Amino acid sequence: MVFACIFIPDFPVQAITRQEPDLRSKPVAVLQGAAPLTKVFAANPAARDRGVELGMTKLQAESCGPLEWRWRSLAQEASAQAALLDCAWTISPLIEQPRKGSAIDFCDSVVLDLAGCEKLFGSPEQIAHHLQRIAAAAGLEANVAFAGNPEAALSAARGFPGITLIPPGEEAAILGALPLSSLGLPAEMLETLHRWGIRTYSEFAALPEIAVIERFGQEGKRWHQLSHGGDPKPLLPKQFPDRFEESMDLEFSVDLLEPLLFVLNRLLDQLCLRLRMHLLATTELKITLTLDPKILCDQSPLPGSDESVSQAPEAQDAGFVRTGGAACCAPTNGLHIRNLRLPVPVNESKFLLKLLQLDLQAHPPGAPVTAIHIQAIPTRPRTRQMGLFLPLAPEPEALEITLARIQGVVGEGRAGAPVLLDSHRPNAFRQQRFVLPEASLTCPPAEHPPQAALRLYRPPLPATVQLQHDQPHTIYFNHARQPILAFAGPSRSTGEWWSETPWARDEWDVLLPLPRPQYQSNHPFHDNSHKPQETALYRIYRDLLSNHWFVEGIYD
Amino acid sequence: MYVELHAASAFSFLEGASLPEEIAEAAAHFGMPAIALLDRDGVYGAPRFHSAATRCKIRAHIGAEISVVDFGNQAGCPPWLPNQFPPRFVRLPLLVENQTGYRNLCRLITRYKMREKEKFSGAATLAEVAEHAEGLICLTGGEEGLFASSLAQGGLELAHRNTKKLAELFGPNNVYVELQRHFDPLEEKRNQAAVRLAETLHLPLLATNGVRYARSIDREILDVFTCIRNHCQLTSAGRLLQKNSKRHLRSSEEMAQLFSDLPQAIANSSELSSRLGYTLADLGYEFPRYPVPSGETMDSFLRKRTMEGIHQRYGPKNDEQLFAKAVKQVEKELHLIEKLHLAGYFLIVWDIVCFCRKHGILVQGRGSAANSAVCYALSITSVDPVGMELLFERFLSEERADWPDIDLDLPSGDQREKAIQYVYDRYGQLGAAMTANVITYRGRSVSREVGKTLGFDTETIDRLSSLVGQFEWRGPEDNWQTYFEHAGFDVHHFLIRKYLQLCDRIQDLPRHLGQHSGGMVICQGQLDSVVPLEPATMPGRVVVQWDKDDCADMGIVKVDLLGLGMMAVLEECLQLIPKHYHQSVDLAQIPADDNLVYETLRRADTVGMFQVESRAQMASLPRNAPVKFYDLVVQVAIIRPGPIVGNMMNPYMRRRQGKEEVHYAHPSLEPILKRTLGVPLFQEQLLRMAMVAANFSGGEAEDLRRAMGFKRSEERMQQIETRLRAGMQRNGIAAHVQQEIIAQITSFARYGFPESHAASFALIAYASAFLKCRYLAAFTAALLNNQPMGFYSPATIVKDAQRHGLRVKPIDILRSEWLCTLENAPNKAGQLVPCLRVGLRYARGLRQKAAEAIVLARTRQMFSDITDLVRCVPELQKPELECLGEIGSLNSLGKSVHRRSALWQVARATRSAGPLLDSIADESESSPLLRMNNEERLVADFHGSGLTPGPHPMAYCRKSLTAMNIKRAIDLERIPDGAYTTVAGCVIARQRPGTAKGFVFLSLEDETGIANVIIHPDLYQKFRLIINREKFLSVSGILQNQDRVISVKASHLAPVSISAAETESHDYH
Repeated sequence: MVFACIFIPDFPVQAITRQEPDLRSKPVAVLQGAAPLTKVFAANPAARDRGVELGMTKLQAESCGPLEWRWRSLAQEASAQAALLDCAWTISPLIEQPRKGSAIDFCDSVVLDLAGCEKLFGSPEQIAHHLQRIAAAAGLEANVAFAGNPEAALSAARGFPGITLIPPGEEAAILGALPLSSLGLPAEMLETLHRWGIRTYSEFAALPEIAVIERFGQEGKRWHQLSHGGDPKPLLPKQFPDRFEESMDLEFSVDLLEPLLFVLNRLLDQLCLRLRMHLLATTELKITLTLDPKILCDQSPLPGSDESVSQAPEAQDAGFVRTGGAACCAPTNGLHIRNLRLPVPVNESKFLLKLLQLDLQAHPPGAPVTAIHIQAIPTRPRTRQMGLFLPLAPEPEALEITLARIQGVVGEGRAGAPVLLDSHRPNAFRQQRFVLPEASLTCPPAEHPPQAALRLYRPPLPATVQLQHDQPHTIYFNHARQPILAFAGPSRSTGEWWSETPWARDEWDVLLPLPRPQYQSNHPFHDNSHKPQETALYRIYRDLLSNHWFVEGIYD
Repeated sequence: MYVELHAASAFSFLEGASLPEEIAEAAAHFGMPAIALLDRDGVYGAPRFHSAATRCKIRAHIGAEISVVDFGNQAGCPPWLPNQFPPRFVRLPLLVENQTGYRNLCRLITRYKMREKEKFSGAATLAEVAEHAEGLICLTGGEEGLFASSLAQGGLELAHRNTKKLAELFGPNNVYVELQRHFDPLEEKRNQAAVRLAETLHLPLLATNGVRYARSIDREILDVFTCIRNHCQLTSAGRLLQKNSKRHLRSSEEMAQLFSDLPQAIANSSELSSRLGYTLADLGYEFPRYPVPSGETMDSFLRKRTMEGIHQRYGPKNDEQLFAKAVKQVEKELHLIEKLHLAGYFLIVWDIVCFCRKHGILVQGRGSAANSAVCYALSITSVDPVGMELLFERFLSEERADWPDIDLDLPSGDQREKAIQYVYDRYGQLGAAMTANVITYRGRSVSREVGKTLGFDTETIDRLSSLVGQFEWRGPEDNWQTYFEHAGFDVHHFLIRKYLQLCDRIQDLPRHLGQHSGGMVICQGQLDSVVPLEPATMPGRVVVQWDKDDCADMGIVKVDLLGLGMMAVLEECLQLIPKHYHQSVDLAQIPADDNLVYETLRRADTVGMFQVESRAQMASLPRNAPVKFYDLVVQVAIIRPGPIVGNMMNPYMRRRQGKEEVHYAHPSLEPILKRTLGVPLFQEQLLRMAMVAANFSGGEAEDLRRAMGFKRSEERMQQIETRLRAGMQRNGIAAHVQQEIIAQITSFARYGFPESHAASFALIAYASAFLKCRYLAAFTAALLNNQPMGFYSPATIVKDAQRHGLRVKPIDILRSEWLCTLENAPNKAGQLVPCLRVGLRYARGLRQKAAEAIVLARTRQMFSDITDLVRCVPELQKPELECLGEIGSLNSLGKSVHRRSALWQVARATRSAGPLLDSIADESESSPLLRMNNEERLVADFHGSGLTPGPHPMAYCRKSLTAMNIKRAIDLERIPDGAYTTVAGCVIARQRPGTAKGFVFLSLEDETGIANVIIHPDLYQKFRLIINREKFLSVSGILQNQDRVISVKASHLAPVSISAAETESHDYH
């Protein structure tokens, strides 16, 4: 009996209740999906007892009586999974994350190889209780099972509540009563077995092995052995370390950015040194700052930073991993986690420190930091063949720092390369992350007929327009009233009528006298009286929903 | 004055958002004298557009947008924009100038449509356009047109070249450079180029608005349609959607202001409109002439055939008076037929009937044709109109301008197809075609499609569409809002509100063109010059672009070759009976007064019988208590919305039972209403009432019926009522009697059933009842072989037959054929009697090809075991074998084989051991699997075949049900009226008829029969989920036993746990 399994029933619910312990005794339903298509994604036993079923809409579930509602949180599930792994690693370095359940994104169980652990942690029972206690401390109510092989332990943990100890050789007897659905069989095989009237492990195990192989092949043999409680497959331990990590517990909590950077610098130096020793670099850096729980309750901002902690929930709403941005944030219980995605593989600590500094300035932790954990995903370093005739491009590292600086000023998602959206909405674009294009000798683009460039005012200038016969006649903007000398239009575009934010506008191109003051020349050959009036071409528009006018831009 | 000459309707299928009627009405509203409809690749909406325009007193110009392959694709987005436009051929808008032009347009469309492999994929070549250019005016088009495409592809030079090409094809006077203004700068740029081009080529300019919808708000519908067409969602459709809402019909003033810089473009629209002299009133349709021997005319030939028929039909009846009457009637009809030049039509229908009889295809005419003695003489119909005193004017009258309607009922399936192919062969592929069936967006399709475009997930859409009611009765609760609330949605959410609106607005717009079940049109010349033809999805079929109503409105005669499942059942019975009962049956000679048949009908023991098997029929049969054929005619007609809405049913039933005295509104009506005890039940009676009471002529009376038809107009109704009153006044009928007569006529004419039709149906109903009573095995086999049809599921039909003593044997791999067959087996007395063997067609998922391979392999050698079966029939796939094993069909392949052991062997036999071990024989091994228990067998039977030959699911639980004091269906007749009782059963039908004011009727089946349950609307609302979802129910309530019609008036319902078997229910049809 050298394997243990920790299984967290109703994992998405527990991922939430571990942070809100008061909910444990109440019926809780976890919702998923944007309104109005919100459905129940998970529920705890108390909610299920009231008739809540997975897949119900919120309105349907509401008819089951008073329930506690929570939205599904991937971040909380991720942290719960991390917590689960942490629990396992406190006992054994050899752990395996079995296959996931069908609907959830994170694994709700973990299998531990306990060979030799008895000497350190005591009898299996003691270890089991220990594991349950650790899981409970992490906010998770776990089923723990011990068996002679990983699959038997997994089946028992999934099938039986509490602690299950399966003595060697008794796997088949104990697991026999479990329904086959706990075994995780492929759907087709499960259907065939149901058709045969085989419903439990023991019924499946009772079938002759050769006959099963004849009917299901070697795959069938494996499942058959599993139903006996045997496991022909060895544990596939989770690679440890499969990533480069550095941590430091701080003697005193740090509440200023500068000393924090000092510590970070030391860690990063170590990390980059190790990466370089293995001829590796990193493209992803995860920084986990453990926050002081006492001060965390006060939610006070980190002194020395110019932003408040209130950013954290926003980042949470936006999703655990935000693509396109350089960094993303996933606050967990007392942790401040930052993920830095890098455009190129890097193993220079100086560069990483600068990026971290900019990121922490933009996303300061909500409390003084008591521990730091840095994790780097290793990858091969960048190799590049420079071309003699290729134009020089900025160094990617320098560019990334510049972009991070700009983003720090203008805000996240506001720096990058604009991409046109497929929409009739004028000016419809989104910002995508700027990536330096690969330099290459390209043919000059095909010639296009010259077109006037429109310089946009951002934001557009409010204006007042007087109409004559439904056509623009005079415009007042920038503190000046000007006659409209000529116009073209309107061009009308309306759209997104199905949404709560429809738009509709009429655009006009108008010719206005240039407001520039006329230079009076005293030169004898310069006749001011015959100079033609200078004009400028503007684009103006009327928002048809608010009936407000704006000057959108000026043509070159 | 501006005339819109480029409008498209929803008949451009997903490229237009308003019905042709709406566009015509909008044009009339703006005071336009005319408007042109140019739908994409067809004239699908032209008849409705023409009729609507005629009603609105404006002229309807006809045309179409023709896809042309040689000019490349339509202009897309500029290259620097994200572009997802699917390539589509350039379209030429063509307007019809004269009849030649119309013919050319129809032929041109037919030419390329007939090449289409997929719907709307065809396009004409330039050569074809050139060939058919005469009489057509060509426009350069809007953004979908040639000019825009040429300009985008090759600039002004290509545009110049292509437009010049058009001018050469159509003539310089017949090409107009089209200008549209939808507040789009790119379009305006194009317009400037077009104006310059028109000047260079000396072509006239034409302002249009490229109308795609009648009102600007309908742009939303067009956007949704665009998403449906491109399989995308509104949020991701981008530039595929409309840029703004300006492609609606605009007034002359608005257009004049819009084109104030180009007034000639507006002036040209009315000038061109005055050139377009053609409307659909000059269709040029001619019904084909029937080829007659030399020296004969069609009239003389028809007369001879009719007279021969009269002797054959009436001779054997030995009734001189009847014969004389028949001759007189025939003479009258022939005279009228001659006068209206309809002899050809009768002869062609007669020809089809002759073909059917010659090839052993059962055929019977029905509908109003059964009023005609000529049709009876020609054997087109089987009901004697003279003997039954049917009204000929209902079929044909001098005053009416339209063609008479003859429907032929044929056995559904291959036999009907033979008749259809005969018509094709006889009149050529371009001379005959099926009428179309315009499929419109209805409840479920709307909710599904709109849900997809708004981005709802599949599961939600499934749930929603399953909730959308298909009830006849629409109570205050039956609306989209309620459906959504029941589906658990917040109807106050913006998106849901929008969804509700869209679902409502899209309802009834055309979705695609289907094929009508049997309506054929034929033409003397080329049908493709009258209406474009296109291939149907079914190979070998051609359809016209108009549906049957449009064809009728346009004066095109139609022959309905309708497939009737019961005809196929009768035909199959006629083949089975001689083989297994050693008797021959002739449907024309079956005894008309078989007591057993009438007794069965009076007991309402009618499962499977034609027309009299529904719950409502069963509930009225004991009250009507038929004793002769005419009672059955009444029975067929009485359970209809007309008699029920008109409150005729109950008076008739009371008089029938002697509970009410027979009286007539006026003595002059007695001869008309005597047969129906003074209660008008048939359309013919109403017409006669108008003729007798108000001196209407036959034609006027028929006109009255049509005026009260589905498209009734209040104005016309009032006119007729005034005439009725005036006529009755002249005949001295008192005012209150007048009122009574008018009430009877007006409340009834709309839904009334023609007596001739009822008589034709009653013939089939009687035949089906006779065959069921006398030859149950043959009838049940035929009924099962022609499913789906009728009111009950195969499971119910089998259970009913078993209750009547038929032995039903399960599907057996060694004995079953594809269809259900009869076998002789000894009964309890030791006599060999026919019993039913369920056919392999009932093994779910088993392909016919595989089943036929089984039967063929069996003829060579019987299978010794399952391995042998797998070896001998390699066509069988593993899931098919598993299904056969699961339902016990393989049990005969060995002594101790049971369902599970068969599955065990199938799993082994279908898995190859590999090349090395393949040649080694399998060691026989016994299965370690347990036999299925009763419940498992039931579940397997229903899952694998939809029925069980074993005991009814309720039978297994009877003991415990009895302990709970739950009665059987058979027990109910012994319970006194008014007693409180509980009954339970499998729900086999749920109904909510339109005439029952929201009451719901359930049929619960148990092992002894069927119990009827009545549910009050309030109770229904309370138990809605249970009633609609549960398969087995127990119902408690007061028992009603009125005139031997037994039902339980529910006061409480509860689900009962009987079986997990997937039983079927016939719901809300």
